[in-house]
Amino acid sequence: MVNLFSIDNPENSLEWMIFLADKYASMFLEGTRLTLLIAILGTLLGFVLGYVIGLIQDAKINQGDNIVKKVLYKCIKIIAAVYVEIFRDTPMIVQAMIIYFGIREANINITPIAAGILVTVLNTGAYMAETVRGGIGSIDLGQREGAWAMGMSPMKTMLYIVLPQAFKNIIPEMANTFLTNLKMTSVLNVIAVQELFMAAKTVGGNYYKYFESYLVIAVIYFVLCFVFNKIFIFMEKKLQGKNDYALAVEYMDNQ
Amino acid sequence: MSEAIISIQELSKSFGDHEVLRKIDIDVHAGEIICIVGSSGSGKSTLLRCINKLERQSSGKIMFCGKEVRDVQREINEYRSKVGMVFQSFNLFNNMTVLQNCMLCTRKVLHLSKAEAFDRAITHLKEVDMAPYIHAKPSQLSGGQKQRVAIARSLCMNPQVLLFDEPTSALDPEMVGEVLNVMKELATTGLTMIIVTHEMAFARDVSTRTIFMDRGYVAEDAPPSELFTNPKNPRTREFLSRYLAG
Repeated sequence: MVNLFSIDNPENSLEWMIFLADKYASMFLEGTRLTLLIAILGTLLGFVLGYVIGLIQDAKINQGDNIVKKVLYKCIKIIAAVYVEIFRDTPMIVQAMIIYFGIREANINITPIAAGILVTVLNTGAYMAETVRGGIGSIDLGQREGAWAMGMSPMKTMLYIVLPQAFKNIIPEMANTFLTNLKMTSVLNVIAVQELFMAAKTVGGNYYKYFESYLVIAVIYFVLCFVFNKIFIFMEKKLQGKNDYALAVEYMDNQ
Repeated sequence: MSEAIISIQELSKSFGDHEVLRKIDIDVHAGEIICIVGSSGSGKSTLLRCINKLERQSSGKIMFCGKEVRDVQREINEYRSKVGMVFQSFNLFNNMTVLQNCMLCTRKVLHLSKAEAFDRAITHLKEVDMAPYIHAKPSQLSGGQKQRVAIARSLCMNPQVLLFDEPTSALDPEMVGEVLNVMKELATTGLTMIIVTHEMAFARDVSTRTIFMDRGYVAEDAPPSELFTNPKNPRTREFLSRYLAG
């Protein structure tokens, strides 16, 4: 079988890249799969967590609420604030180590992949919480007052009025977070997740061709990010909606 | 006289050291159209926002149909669903069409069926001549159109009282008329309205009672025929002469 890309005796770096990519295609593919899995799952769950934390931080307490509710609110708010601070103020690579080995220490058998996803979720959640809070803050207070003035509860107002608008405003930031996560999965090699970085390290070691091996995954990371970026831009445009509207002619005469 | 719908009792409000409202007492009866006038900073808008509980009073209370509205979310929500409010800046929901704006709260607060909510929305949008625009987004409407939609949206809740917070202040002069006309129409239906406004001619012609506010006090509270032609308070006189001269 003739393969255009197979090179038997690689001589320069480019040929080495092609040679390695071809020979270890399955390893690179598996690495890509894991990188995507952790990035996508971690980011999505992280977004959910971030929204929950962001909402908690934004919640207001009424003077007339009973004392139990007030204390409970206060406690939850403090826990949320501590969580956000800790995860924003420590590096992800250290978090990965501490969480993975910490859980193992507690005699719970967690796989590196599960730990990797957990770290990504917690990290994303902490950053997203701030983004969501900012997004909520960017929506004019009048939008909420309009709903409140008709008897809508703060919770429903958030759900139907504020969040849909805030969501639109923070899409670029969410896209950023995802792209960051996609690349940050590379630090998870420290807890032995077989993602792209780990694959390159292994492959490079076989022939002592690290430069070429890492170039291969650089290209893969680049292509992934490039494609996702284009998808996000497309989605953002889609969400902008139409610029025109049709007059409801059926209601034009009988006024 | 019958029992007041809304009774404001010794209501005070301070922002820090600044006293904005000082012991306000006002009883609002069914069918009354009350215009609140006064110079900027006299506390008119704050009073209205306190009535709708968007601002928490520092002291005093608000009674609705003889019952105090306490500072508990559930009670506030129920009270607000019966006391509508129209804002200076319209506050239409930007993420929704005109129709969705008018249906959201009837669906989610009053739990009407979709068909009922739709019928109500169309009925009230027709009243303000905005029915053909049901598919438009707020950003595609003019200021006057937005305010008319906002009025229709409030009417959909079948409020017992409707509050207007300077409804024409953010409008171009040529759009003021269309909104005032809608409000004049409303006035003939017997709806109870409290209107904070700078439109003196409107207040004189439409209100059944005019309140002049000055530095956080109710300086004068009289039928417009008296307040505009024969003001008792020197501050009222001064204010009106400045307005009529300008």
